[in-house]
Amino acid sequence: MGNKGKSLVVVQLSGGNDYLNTVVPYGDDEYYDFRKTVHIEQNKVLPIDKVYGFSPHLAPIKRLYDQGKVAVINGIGYDNPNRSHFRSMDIWHTAQPDEIGTEGWLGRVIRDLDPNAENVLTGVNFGRGLPRALGVRGVPVASVGNLDTYGLFPDIKDESAKKLALDAFAHMYGGVQGKDPVLNFLGQTGMDALKGADILRTAPQKYSSAIEYAANPIAQGMKSIAQVMLADFGTRVFYTQHGSFDTHSGEILTHAKLWDEVSGAVGDFYDDMQEHGREDEVVVMIFSEFGRRIKDNGSGTDHGSGGVAFIIGGEVKGGMYGQYPSIKEADHLEGDLHFNNDFRSTYSTIVEKWFGLDPVPIVNGHFEQFDFVNA
Amino acid sequence: MVITNTISIRYLKTIGIVNNGFNGRGFANPYDVAIGPEGNIFVLNRCDPARRNAIRVGVCNLDEEYLYEFGYGFGDGDGQMMLPVAMAFDAEGRLLITDEHTNRITIYSDEGEVLGKWGQKGESEGEFNGPAGIATDSSGTVYICDQRNHRVQKYTADGMFLTQWGSQGTRAGEFNLPWGLGLDADDNVYVADWRNDRIQKFDSNGHHLKTIGDSGVEEDQLIRPSAVSIDQSGNIYVADWGNERLQVFNSEGKVMASLRGEATLSHWAKDFFESNPDEMETREISDLNPDVPDHLNNPYHISSQTEPFFWGPVSVRIDGNNQLYVVESNRHRIQIYEIE
Amino acid sequence: MSQDVSLMAHLMRRAGFGATRNELDEYLGDGYETTVDNLLDPGESNHMPDDLIRRYHVDQSELRQLDGAGAYWLYRMLTTSNPLEEKLALFWHGLFATGYAKLNQARALLNQIDMFRQYGFGSFRDLLVELSRDPAMILWLDNNENHKEAINENYGRELLELFSMGIGNYSEHDIKECAKAFTGWTLKNAEYMSVRASKDSIWPYGRIAWHYEYRADDHDSGEKKFLGEVGNFNGEDIVDIIVTQEPTARFLSTRLFQYFASDEVDDDGVEVIKEMMDSYFESGFKVSAVLRTLFNSDYFKSEKCRYSRVKGPVESVVGTARLAGSYQEPTLDVHSLWAQTMFMGQGLLAPPTVEGWHEGVEWIDSGSLVERINFAAKELSDPTKGGVQDIIRRVTSGYKDFIHAENLVDSCLDFMGPIQVGANTREGLIEFAESLGELQLKNGKTDQDGSAQVARLIGMIASTREYQLA
Repeated sequence: MGNKGKSLVVVQLSGGNDYLNTVVPYGDDEYYDFRKTVHIEQNKVLPIDKVYGFSPHLAPIKRLYDQGKVAVINGIGYDNPNRSHFRSMDIWHTAQPDEIGTEGWLGRVIRDLDPNAENVLTGVNFGRGLPRALGVRGVPVASVGNLDTYGLFPDIKDESAKKLALDAFAHMYGGVQGKDPVLNFLGQTGMDALKGADILRTAPQKYSSAIEYAANPIAQGMKSIAQVMLADFGTRVFYTQHGSFDTHSGEILTHAKLWDEVSGAVGDFYDDMQEHGREDEVVVMIFSEFGRRIKDNGSGTDHGSGGVAFIIGGEVKGGMYGQYPSIKEADHLEGDLHFNNDFRSTYSTIVEKWFGLDPVPIVNGHFEQFDFVNA
Repeated sequence: MVITNTISIRYLKTIGIVNNGFNGRGFANPYDVAIGPEGNIFVLNRCDPARRNAIRVGVCNLDEEYLYEFGYGFGDGDGQMMLPVAMAFDAEGRLLITDEHTNRITIYSDEGEVLGKWGQKGESEGEFNGPAGIATDSSGTVYICDQRNHRVQKYTADGMFLTQWGSQGTRAGEFNLPWGLGLDADDNVYVADWRNDRIQKFDSNGHHLKTIGDSGVEEDQLIRPSAVSIDQSGNIYVADWGNERLQVFNSEGKVMASLRGEATLSHWAKDFFESNPDEMETREISDLNPDVPDHLNNPYHISSQTEPFFWGPVSVRIDGNNQLYVVESNRHRIQIYEIE
Repeated sequence: MSQDVSLMAHLMRRAGFGATRNELDEYLGDGYETTVDNLLDPGESNHMPDDLIRRYHVDQSELRQLDGAGAYWLYRMLTTSNPLEEKLALFWHGLFATGYAKLNQARALLNQIDMFRQYGFGSFRDLLVELSRDPAMILWLDNNENHKEAINENYGRELLELFSMGIGNYSEHDIKECAKAFTGWTLKNAEYMSVRASKDSIWPYGRIAWHYEYRADDHDSGEKKFLGEVGNFNGEDIVDIIVTQEPTARFLSTRLFQYFASDEVDDDGVEVIKEMMDSYFESGFKVSAVLRTLFNSDYFKSEKCRYSRVKGPVESVVGTARLAGSYQEPTLDVHSLWAQTMFMGQGLLAPPTVEGWHEGVEWIDSGSLVERINFAAKELSDPTKGGVQDIIRRVTSGYKDFIHAENLVDSCLDFMGPIQVGANTREGLIEFAESLGELQLKNGKTDQDGSAQVARLIGMIASTREYQLA
């Protein structure tokens, strides 16, 4: 179902990424008026044009931008912005700003890509617990904390002891145990988990690459994603996150470090894909649950609205999309940047143009699409 | 020694703001404060588990300039901390910090350079089971509350064991999970005998001199006192943690003042509200000193609802200018008073 | 005798989080009915003292964040001597699901749980009134936005639909009147607290806790028509009417049945529910009376009722930790225990919506099953844990120099529960025990290797399908 071979990697920046210090309006004096302390120096910015540029900590992404592989979605958000982490992230995850949604948009994508759930590895999350974005009743999604130890009994370190335990598990869960539907369901689910884990764990062994990822969690996460991608298990949706971008204080140092890590990881991942000739098969989407306030608080910035998202991939038509919000006082939305495009437009574009699926039931409505990716 | 009968303690200001990040101005569950050799204010951030790697000491001054900070992250490597409790400057201007999980005393320079350490888990000399309150006298001798061994240990400035006293119990000279510790001008040792709800006073060799306070909420009583400091006149200031208040006794043990806290907005707090006018507006029409219903009418709950009150007053310190510092772990601030 | 043990173990799995053999022995001394009475009317609980928790865990003193608050409640569940009090509070928490995500106020949530402890066994009428006054509930369902001049129906609707009568038993008009009756039921400093909640604000000085305030000038005191009755109803009057309705009795009894007896309601279950409804009315709407009827029913005590529930994640985590003897004193990483409940799909204090969690077999998917098994296997295969040592001692004490695999398995199953397993599972366990080699003893005691061996078997039992059931 859907366009074969195309996959999506979603990188969630948790905590609310500061848009103004990511894509910097360095040519606008008012930026420096509002950001007396927490700003990027003009001479450090990597220019896109005379007004806007990237923070220097996005250098690898700027490099890809110059190759035309990065679409910057400016002023992304939704009506009635919510400035609470949980609620706003839920909104992005369920594509439901107005009521509490129960299904994740990516869970729905996975379901539509694999309606008969033939492949339990269609969607893989790298991190513990399942993000709401991937949650739909009946859609299996693997959540991998550590690819090397993923699966049952990770705490048994001794190989032979682990094998004995797994054999016993397979015996107990694989055998027939009467007619009780709940016990049968448990048996089936256990065997699925065993199978999925066995498959996933072979990915690192099959992998070889000249790219050396950095030693931080997001880089290692992207490496795991590359390993699973290149192992060709049929995984179409990958998810991971980095943070915390919630820089209420000490922002300059923290924001710089986080973006060094994210952009380094994404740059290395793209290069890895390119090395294997697969860069045209993958789209990376980087987003955050909201942007931050226009005015800083002396040490950092507080929750705002209206943010930025990045779409990166070999088939992406690079450039600046949406509109960079005005930072003039008169245009503020309660002290924040005014969004100008609904995030569901970006979702719809990916769902339809990239995956070839009907976006309307997935994002709960019709939204005008961008043209940032070749179908 | 002066026997005071009245005392005047006047609120001066509040410094602090919660900082949930990994660096920068503000505090994260401050547990102790110490005044450095140049008069700067050193604040020990215990930090909650979600930001363990942010565990650090922050340094500011009375004008609320955030000067610098230092920390080596969460762990038991040199300089690192896990559950820091208290700190004290010694006569040479070195900063000693106790850690009740690694069972260690670490010595830093006032710029955060690691100069040394001693201690490990155990019950013998040189060993600890949860070192907590710490104080040094003018000759550099160090006194430490050894919580789960229910004793006080005494060391030279460089960690050579000298003596110890105490065991678990409720009689004089016995302790139950002692927390804070303070010295007076005569090098007498005062111990916040936490679970015995009292302060015990000893001479510098551990001979019991006096017991102050017993369990309760009345004016002369204490519930789980966590720290004790003595001013130049011998008055005794107790962080009455369980009652969310500060109690002041004279040198005889007579109660002279009871403070509940009256925090106002610090500079950093005002900066925050300038960038967040929506919160300022709704705050202005609020009553931050509400009456609470009966079922929440105990100090802990009252303080959780009443922003100006002490909440989690874990430590109290008096500087050379007769200024009193009360450190609130749950409010991420220090209330400063002047003693007259 | 072993039937009594089995029955008591079943009762404790339902009315609590399972019991260790030591605990079962004590309950057996009292007998079944006395135990039921004691569970329903427990008196003060013995549990990990508050001062020790707050001394050690600064995050549980301040409650600025969710994981500390979740861990605080877990400590209570792990160390309480009143298991039904906590299990029932967990039931109310799932039913009146109020979540952290919108409130960003952990103290308010824990206060709500405290209220469940206080009122959970008593009259359903009193409980619903307290719920309507609960600040966390007020903000959660926007009753602070429910004004005389601008009604907000959220609480009024959910009170009827999700908390008492269920859809189909009242009209849209009843919802409106119900909402009107609750105007003015708000919290102190509601505007400031609501802005802070919506922004997750902790500035400048951390969180400020909440309490209930009634704003008379914002209350619609006019005449209302509700479920056929007429009057100038205020919220309490509405609740008075609700609790007398038959659908309320049925709703409450059914939910209690599903939580404490069986995930599915069959014909026999329907009969039990009828008896529970009778008790509800006869006792003056008392929850304890309804539960007493259930626990003393033939249905509850029958074989068919055993293992007819899938354990929820919290139940599973707490039960396992209690069996292992973990977290009996302040422990450094206890907040990661809360994280476990999150990974397993039941983040304590964080239900995703007011509909709560989908229980029963819906707790299980390949992700959550793996998390549950890994946690339980790790906890219980640790021979240094006090609870595990107790089990090993009991298992080996009847023997002298060795135990055959078959007996070892049966003995472990007995002293871990007793836990009943099917033939295939038992076969797998015996094979596993055999693969570890024959267990050598010295006068009925294991050496270090032997203990480790038995512990591995105990961990494997905790990995079975049957262990997922209560």
